[in-house]
Amino acid sequence: MRIVIGQGSCGIAAGAEKIRKALTEQSIGCDISITGCIGMCWLEPIVDIYDDDNALTRLVRVSENDAQAVAEYVETGDKSKVEKLIVTDEDSQFLSKQTRIALRNCGIINPELIEEYTEKGGYTALKKALGMTPEEVIEIIKTSGLAGRGGAGFPTWFKWNAARQSAGEEKYLICNADEGDPGAFMDRAVIESDPHNLIEGMLIGAYAIGAKHAVVYVRAEYPLAIKRLKNAIRQATENGVIGEDIFGSGFSCDFTIKAGAGAFVCGEETALIESLEGHRGMPRLKPPFPAQSGFWRKPSNINNVETFANVAWIINNGGEAFAAMGTEGSKGTKVFAVTGKVKRSGLVEIPMGKTLRDVIFDIGGGMKTDKPFKAVQMGGPSGGCIPASLIDTVIDYKALGATGAIMGSGGMVVMDESTCMVGMAKFFLDFTAKESCGKCIHCRIGTKRMLEMLERITKGEGREGDIELLEELCYSIKDGALCGLGQTAPNPVLTTIKYFRNEYEAHIKDKKCPAGECSDLIEYKIAADKCRGCTLCARNCPVGAIGGTVKQPHVIDTTKCIKCGKCYTVCKFGAVVKE
Amino acid sequence: MINLTINGKKITAPEGSTILEAARANGIDIPTLCYDKAVEIYGACGLCVVEAEGIPKLLRSCSAKVMEGMAVHTESERVVQSRKIAMELLMSAHDGDCVAPCQLNCPARTDCQGYVGLIANGEYDAAIKLIKNKIPLPASIGRVCPHPCEKACRRKNVEEPINIAQLKAFAADIDLNNESYLPDLMVRSGKKVAVIGGGPAGLTAAYYLNIMGHSVTVYDMMDKMGGMLRYGIPQYRLPKEVLDKEISIIEKSGVKLVNNVKLGRDFTINSLKEENDAVIVAVGAWQSSSMRTPGEELNGVYGGIDFLRAVIQGNAPDIGEKVVICGGGNTAMDACRTAVRLGAKEVYVVYRRTRNEMPADKLEIDEAEEEGVIYKFLTNPISFNGEDGRVRSITLQIMELGEPDASGRRRPVPVEGKTEELEVDSVILAIGQKLVQGDVSELKLNERGNIEADTDFFTTDIDGVFAIGDATNRGASIAIEAIGEADRCAKAVDAYLNDQPLDTRVPYISKRDEKTIDYSDREKCDRINPKVLPAEVRNKSFDEVSLGFTEEEAKAEASRCLECGCREYYKCKLLKVAQRYDIDPDRFKGEMPQKYTRDENAFIERNTAKCILCGLCVRSCREVMDIHAIGLMGRGFKTDISPAFALPLDQTKCNNCGLCVQLCPTGALTEKANLVKQVPLCEEFVRQQIEINGEKASVLVSRYNGKVLRVIPDDELSRSMQLSREELLEMLD
Repeated sequence: MRIVIGQGSCGIAAGAEKIRKALTEQSIGCDISITGCIGMCWLEPIVDIYDDDNALTRLVRVSENDAQAVAEYVETGDKSKVEKLIVTDEDSQFLSKQTRIALRNCGIINPELIEEYTEKGGYTALKKALGMTPEEVIEIIKTSGLAGRGGAGFPTWFKWNAARQSAGEEKYLICNADEGDPGAFMDRAVIESDPHNLIEGMLIGAYAIGAKHAVVYVRAEYPLAIKRLKNAIRQATENGVIGEDIFGSGFSCDFTIKAGAGAFVCGEETALIESLEGHRGMPRLKPPFPAQSGFWRKPSNINNVETFANVAWIINNGGEAFAAMGTEGSKGTKVFAVTGKVKRSGLVEIPMGKTLRDVIFDIGGGMKTDKPFKAVQMGGPSGGCIPASLIDTVIDYKALGATGAIMGSGGMVVMDESTCMVGMAKFFLDFTAKESCGKCIHCRIGTKRMLEMLERITKGEGREGDIELLEELCYSIKDGALCGLGQTAPNPVLTTIKYFRNEYEAHIKDKKCPAGECSDLIEYKIAADKCRGCTLCARNCPVGAIGGTVKQPHVIDTTKCIKCGKCYTVCKFGAVVKE
Repeated sequence: MINLTINGKKITAPEGSTILEAARANGIDIPTLCYDKAVEIYGACGLCVVEAEGIPKLLRSCSAKVMEGMAVHTESERVVQSRKIAMELLMSAHDGDCVAPCQLNCPARTDCQGYVGLIANGEYDAAIKLIKNKIPLPASIGRVCPHPCEKACRRKNVEEPINIAQLKAFAADIDLNNESYLPDLMVRSGKKVAVIGGGPAGLTAAYYLNIMGHSVTVYDMMDKMGGMLRYGIPQYRLPKEVLDKEISIIEKSGVKLVNNVKLGRDFTINSLKEENDAVIVAVGAWQSSSMRTPGEELNGVYGGIDFLRAVIQGNAPDIGEKVVICGGGNTAMDACRTAVRLGAKEVYVVYRRTRNEMPADKLEIDEAEEEGVIYKFLTNPISFNGEDGRVRSITLQIMELGEPDASGRRRPVPVEGKTEELEVDSVILAIGQKLVQGDVSELKLNERGNIEADTDFFTTDIDGVFAIGDATNRGASIAIEAIGEADRCAKAVDAYLNDQPLDTRVPYISKRDEKTIDYSDREKCDRINPKVLPAEVRNKSFDEVSLGFTEEEAKAEASRCLECGCREYYKCKLLKVAQRYDIDPDRFKGEMPQKYTRDENAFIERNTAKCILCGLCVRSCREVMDIHAIGLMGRGFKTDISPAFALPLDQTKCNNCGLCVQLCPTGALTEKANLVKQVPLCEEFVRQQIEINGEKASVLVSRYNGKVLRVIPDDELSRSMQLSREELLEMLD
């Protein structure tokens, strides 16, 4: 038997390292190792136990107190010891219904050992690619239909080819690992869980465009990813995968990491280049595109982590195999980070062409509470929301774009009826407004003014004409902003207006928040017929706003009430109501 | 060469050039605020966007290159909308006053901050020229104007407003007592204009039309020019000698003045129209208004302006010992103080509200009281009672203040059954004045009984006949109102005579939100009023009450100015673009990104509240000078430009080259002028050669009224020498 503990950042945050120590102290006579992110966030920490036939028993929500039980199970093989920890069949379907290419090794191999990667066929694609001409490599990528997974979905081969065609000896291949969308963590998972897959994809890309330098721009908030990537680079260098004359092919490439200081805009490729050069992260005007003039004004190609994570698989399995999955315009698989009010949250990789319903209900298990599904925010702050009525939308760049949302980097925030859509738009806009680099007027001032309007609306100070003014500003910002950050910032507002205009109107005209989320627009009351006079609410009220005698209906003094919602949460009889 | 079209016009441009360059080379103006040839293309402002057929996105023309066969549109609806919103957003976050509130509140838009500042610098000659751009009678107006400018002056929020009106009189007196300024006249047009009425309105219109090249004659019914300034304002407030001198300058400048001719008796509007290319009717309002109170017809009841005119003409009526003046305006003050000077023992002012609501100037109210005038507030005459046809007493209704009315003042309401009887020898009704309608029977009147004149073009129902001043629209008002109208009317008449269109659109300007202004860093400094004759001396004579400013007082008072208006007003590129489209930044009114602060060193003043983040300063400092003294800080809406490590500029590597200031498109960076007190002035810039260590170098020299205000390095050598502005000034000599 061997024990493998899921130690992505998420697992560690949930206590995986404590469990590892506790298990080590149990001095079990078997190998205890780690793996990266399995992708089942809601079940962390996860401990996988493989028997000698390599059959897996997956233990979930394990705590350090379970160490002894785990040890007993490993020693005796008696499953009853860990019965309550074993993952349910239903939960297992979260993984079994996925098709994993970019995440194929995640949660399986030890990300800190190159051997485990090579055992899984690692670096064979690189060898294979180095045996071809760069043009042949690009052709395979073209056949695969791989498109940029960072958000824009631009055909990868086209960018590679443009950089290849650009004149100049010095070229750069850059990986954008500045994953900044709130709620998106697939890039981190790939680096933490399978760093060599990224390195291999990048080296193939570097070979294809003729770059001798590969750079990973990774956000400094990902220390574990940086640590594992550095370790992987060292191992790859020691194994002759990185460096001079790789595999005797005559192709040489060095590899560096740059830790970004956390500005969201540095995920925009020209701002990323500015930051790489040591300047303030602000986008450059395009044209010229990086393929002509990028890092140090040399031809450069920039792809996202997930894009590179598909490359080695494509080379090994052929472009056709990748293109066989998906739809007419969107090929292969896509990883989604599913979060929010969904039962099973985590990383989901599925072929293009599946529907949102497949992801949210079939794989994600539907809603966490009994409140009905309301909408899903796709693509983070640059994306848009898709309402329940469009739940059967196919996952495809074009189909998602038609709803007003975007595929984006794969963030999926699931919302139920308790989410205020104006508040949701405000949340994302607050993010983009703060993360605007400040360079262009439309983004710097426009997003701020939109945010002020939304703040006004959610406070009940909305004015007649605000919706129209918001729309006018949205379209103008989309048209006038310098880079993708600004051009997409209005999307959450535009889509919520499109699908939930009545909610905006309720805030503005009736001064009501239908979802009951905007504290300025709601009032807590106690329904006398339901109140049993248990005094629990009164005892929990932090401002003493609830009065009443035992066994008699209580009353909230609305002048004192600070709308913290404590009474609403503690009442066991549903007597506290929001109005 | 590349062939393309811009706005349908076929042009060629060298390969590799940008659309902006191609457009400029062909005289097509595309606005931009962040582009300058000296530095790399940046693309921040987004104003240079254009639309090209077949390209879905808007193109930033500063960076987009021309392409063969391209069809570019620089003013399409989409382009204009994008620029408009960009400017509205930009101005919603630009915290600054283009023009000072004093100037904006002056009905004639007199550049108060300008001349106050010039006076502070002792530049009296320049000050009078600036004043005379708007007021041809400044010595008179300075004395009598109720100065709306001072009501708007922000110094009142520190302690008291600047004494703007008296400073104007001070500068104008210097001019009158020396070789008086005569304006340069434009080439004679051969057109003739007749002006009916020689009051402030008529004289002003005549003065400016004469400057514009037209031959102007003013016709007036009285024996001397000046209108209400002469016949409605007492000598002790405006000595007629001062008015005479000012009118003689107008005459000297070329305006013909004809007195003792009366409309309706000696000529008609139509007869003048036949002899002239245009006629301006500025006959004023020469009839006292009635109170419609029983007993007004009694002997001993006088109209306010009738009484004042009689005194001025030397025909003072016998008003006796007890005189009551009804009204609370400046005419009431003139009447009561005149009554005191005529020897009345008890002079009452009856006013239905209280002191706080009196429309008269506060100084007048106080000075009248000092001279012995007794106020009877919250009283309203309900009848004048007579014996033998002569007034003997007034019955006064006692009033109290109720709810505020439309004017914001609390409405006086009668206290039921409470009255008071006051014995009098005479009564003066100073409650208003109106047009003598019979004089202008040829013109259409409005429902108020005044001449109906267009508020923009001043036209009447007769072609070529214009009307201004007290006789028109809303009726009598203050002199400066009439002067402002006259100035604008002169432009309208000029356009009419030249058959040119007239743009009456009020251009957009940026104004600060008064509520957000912080005065806590301003040191208190009391307002200086000119000395006056002692009350017991002046109440017996018609000598001028005010002794006027001494030079020392004037300079000190002028130095109190807070300098609200922007010094870069005359060359602000931001403002030019803002005025290009019809914008309404208030739609996006919200938080301001930066605090309004002034960081200064010996030659530069920095105000980040006005900064539009075009980055020209940062980029030129880095790319051209390789100095890196300033940089961008923060993110999002709060992004700011600041010296390195937020140090004062003096502690950075800044070498005072001034390039950043030169490139700043607005007033965020300002180079100080060679003046004690800084003033916004329309400077003239000339490029000049100087010698530095035997080598030729180029500098930009700005002058105003002949005086050198700034010397700015303008080439590599002059910028690299770390020269102080004093050294540069010396090199110029």
